[in-house]
Amino acid sequence: MTTLQLKNINKYFGSGSSRVHVLKDINFTAKKGEVNLVLGPSGSGKSTFLTIAGGLQTPTEGSVELEGQALKSLSNKQRDALRLNKIGFVLQAYNLIPYLTVKEQFKLVTKVKKEHNLDDKTLDSLMDQLGITDLENKYPGELSGGQNQRVAIARALFTKPDIILADEPTAALDSERVAEVGKIFQTLAKEQNTAVVVVTHDLRLINFADNVYEIMDGNMSLNNSLKAG
Amino acid sequence: MFLSLKEIKKEKFRYGLIVAMIVMICYLIFILTSLAMGLSSQNTDAIDSWNMKSIVLDKDSNTSLSQSLITKDQRKNIKLTKNEALIGQASVVAKKSGYAKESSQFLGLSKKQFISKNLVLTSGHKINSNHQIVVDEKFKTDGYKLGDKLNLNSDKTKYTIVGFVKNAKLNIAPVIYGDITAWQSIKNLNGQFTGSAIVSKNANFKANNEQLETYSTSTFISKLPGYSAQNSTFIFMIGFLMVISLIVIAVFLYILTIQKLQNYAVLRAQGIPAKTLVGATISQSIILVIGGLLIGTILTAATALIIPTSIPMSFDIPILSSVGIGLILTGLIGALIPIKLILNVDPVSVIGG
Ligand SMILES: Nc1ncnc2c1ncn2[C@@H]1O[C@H](COP(=O)(O)OP(=O)(O)OP(=O)(O)O)[C@@H](O)[C@H]1O
Ligand SMILES: [Mg+2]
Repeated sequence: MTTLQLKNINKYFGSGSSRVHVLKDINFTAKKGEVNLVLGPSGSGKSTFLTIAGGLQTPTEGSVELEGQALKSLSNKQRDALRLNKIGFVLQAYNLIPYLTVKEQFKLVTKVKKEHNLDDKTLDSLMDQLGITDLENKYPGELSGGQNQRVAIARALFTKPDIILADEPTAALDSERVAEVGKIFQTLAKEQNTAVVVVTHDLRLINFADNVYEIMDGNMSLNNSLKAG
Repeated sequence: MFLSLKEIKKEKFRYGLIVAMIVMICYLIFILTSLAMGLSSQNTDAIDSWNMKSIVLDKDSNTSLSQSLITKDQRKNIKLTKNEALIGQASVVAKKSGYAKESSQFLGLSKKQFISKNLVLTSGHKINSNHQIVVDEKFKTDGYKLGDKLNLNSDKTKYTIVGFVKNAKLNIAPVIYGDITAWQSIKNLNGQFTGSAIVSKNANFKANNEQLETYSTSTFISKLPGYSAQNSTFIFMIGFLMVISLIVIAVFLYILTIQKLQNYAVLRAQGIPAKTLVGATISQSIILVIGGLLIGTILTAATALIIPTSIPMSFDIPILSSVGIGLILTGLIGALIPIKLILNVDPVSVIGG
């Protein structure tokens, strides 16, 4: 079942002679229960693609549909609500609020989204799996880059989103942790029927993916041959 | 509330500084206002204590008590009730060797009339003879005691202090209450004059004499020498101080909000509703301003307790409260100016790619 659909997306930045064509006629579909990996080098347009998919910015041309609803047709308020309830974002940088402890990052969510979040037990075991159980009372500034990233992942999963959009979620992690994160995404897709989209240049995630796309200079193509075996 | 409190808790130093600044500003405004009001009230304390509504003066006196005289002839046709009192005013210098000279306002009263009857003494007793006087506590502060004898101007008579009254000031000078006959002697008047003015608790009191005119208390006060000029100076001084302080506070809160745009962007990306962000901003400004205001008020009260009585201060609660409300409102405005920025914050521009 299709959750996210991008149709004929073009994105330009700037104007006149400095106008750059960052995303070129991209068509992309993410289905529930599948992990999609988008691989590309730096500057290829990964973050732009992901933020457009999540309604954080608008494409110059083309349409984004989430569960059959065109993002273009939504008000700001509706888009906020959609991000809160349906999308789990893991951004490339600045995911956490600097003045909230790890525990409070979750508490903030429960203030605005009272239901349908992870229960304490499930959150505990997720934190455990991510190796961040002891960090509850620490502020983001007191965490390493990798710890920050793992808290951000837990934070994104906390709302039980229909779709996970993750930007370089494993950039600061060692291979063992990468495998953990890969497994978590896989489990979410298989057991919770979540759609997962991960953009990265981290080839270590390939084997956890159902579909592997490549993005190069704004052109995207499916390339499942990259998967080993 | 959650966000604003957590942020204050984390950034104690930064918010401490801001609260400290608001405290200073409140304190400054409160103290200056109270000092100005204190000085201003010294013009009228005595008049205020009489609860008078009108005053009859010579119509050629330019509404000035010291220029007004009422003759026995004029007085004859005026019927004084228990709501009227005759006063004889003289500007005097009180002298006693070894003590500071006191430039004072001598007010001669008639024992049977309401001003004298209603005098509230802090110590001593009311006068029994025309050589006795009751004086403002300023004399006490300067070392005078009950029983001290002093000279008034060049009058040979020694006047004995038999009582003290609080807040008896007229035109910033301490008041000496004495007998109306003593007034005649101090002024070197012959028996032709009966007093300087008649004050009444009745706003519509009429003297029935062409040469005399009734003025309302507020007209009379506004014509006290220097009073209006002094007050308008104070009002402008404090007004400017308020406006500038309010702008400073608003600017601070504005900068504070701008600095947080990055956090707002993350919150927006997470889908936290704009309403929550705006609420956090507003509640935080209010917490900061009210916190500052409370501490400022406590400091002001503490200052009032320790400041020497020779420095007049008067705490007018309604005026100080409106200053406080003004501060809260500007805090709000300062926080609200950037609200458009919060609502339109582009998560991507801040988060980067
Ligand atoms: N707001 C913007 N204004 C102008 N150009 C932009 C803007 N955002 C991105 N770009 C450009 O678009 C291109 C793609 O950027 P994007 O951030 O999507 O790359 P990326 O694949 O995520 O790179 P990285 O792996 O380094 O994060 C880059 O050349 C970048 O300079
Ligand atoms: Mg990127």
